[in-house]
Amino acid sequence: MKVEIDTFSGYKIYPSKGRLFVRGDSKIFRFATSKNESLFLQRKNPRKIAWTQVFRRMHKKGITEEVAKKRSRKTVKHQRGIVGVGADLQSILAKRNQTDAARATARQAAIAKAKQDKKAKETAKTKPKAPARSGATAPKVSKQQAKGTTTGGGKAARY
Amino acid sequence: MIGLKGTVNIIDNTGALVVECVNVLKNKSSHGHASIGDVFVCVVQKARPISLTSAGAPSSGSTLTSLKVKRGDVQRAVLVRSKQPVQRPDGRWIRFDDNAAVLVNKKNEMIGTRIGGVVSSDLRLKGWGKIVSLAPKAI
Repeated sequence: MKVEIDTFSGYKIYPSKGRLFVRGDSKIFRFATSKNESLFLQRKNPRKIAWTQVFRRMHKKGITEEVAKKRSRKTVKHQRGIVGVGADLQSILAKRNQTDAARATARQAAIAKAKQDKKAKETAKTKPKAPARSGATAPKVSKQQAKGTTTGGGKAARY
Repeated sequence: MIGLKGTVNIIDNTGALVVECVNVLKNKSSHGHASIGDVFVCVVQKARPISLTSAGAPSSGSTLTSLKVKRGDVQRAVLVRSKQPVQRPDGRWIRFDDNAAVLVNKKNEMIGTRIGGVVSSDLRLKGWGKIVSLAPKAI
């Protein structure tokens, strides 16, 4: 037993009910009642007849239970590191998850280290400069001394 | 439901187009109406013009002229489609858009060799299996 559906209104047609109409172009139309058949033959559009299934589907009447296709797609975000030096996922996470105290101590340590480095640099700068300067004047003095002795002796003798 | 003076389309390839019912061969009464599967005597009212050189599609057992009947011939026919609804054993009512028939000889054999169009399946129940098998579609 097959329950057909009415081609005009979408109603169910149980066996021995309704009519089957074969049109000149061999298309089959099933009608549940003479009402459907009459409206069809009057060439009414079922989309405009308010009680037909076609109309109801088009105007979305009465389908609150079956809310069709409400599958929301959520894209999953993957954590990735930056390709390059020192910024892989592990180090990024480590830096992000540092507590404030840890960060402060790290900063202090960095400052102290920087100061030390600066001092070391300055001493390194002065030490080489001092011996370099003395080395530079010594030969000058010796030249002058040398000059003085020779010219001083000669001039004095003339007087 | 074809009675006296009822016009019917012929859907086989005998050359007849429209046929007028003259007598319904049903139980020896001259009145009465022909339904699907009933034989009736008819007069050919309109036929396709017969030409000596037939350029139509070749059928299996054809003579030179594939058109077998001409206007004014008295033939027998079997109704294969009717506008009047017909009931099926399962309770369905089936109705077609027009009245159509197929020409038949006195021995109830088809004259034509092909059928062009839908045919009612009720013919099978009434013993016209040949017609149903020749038809492109039987509803």
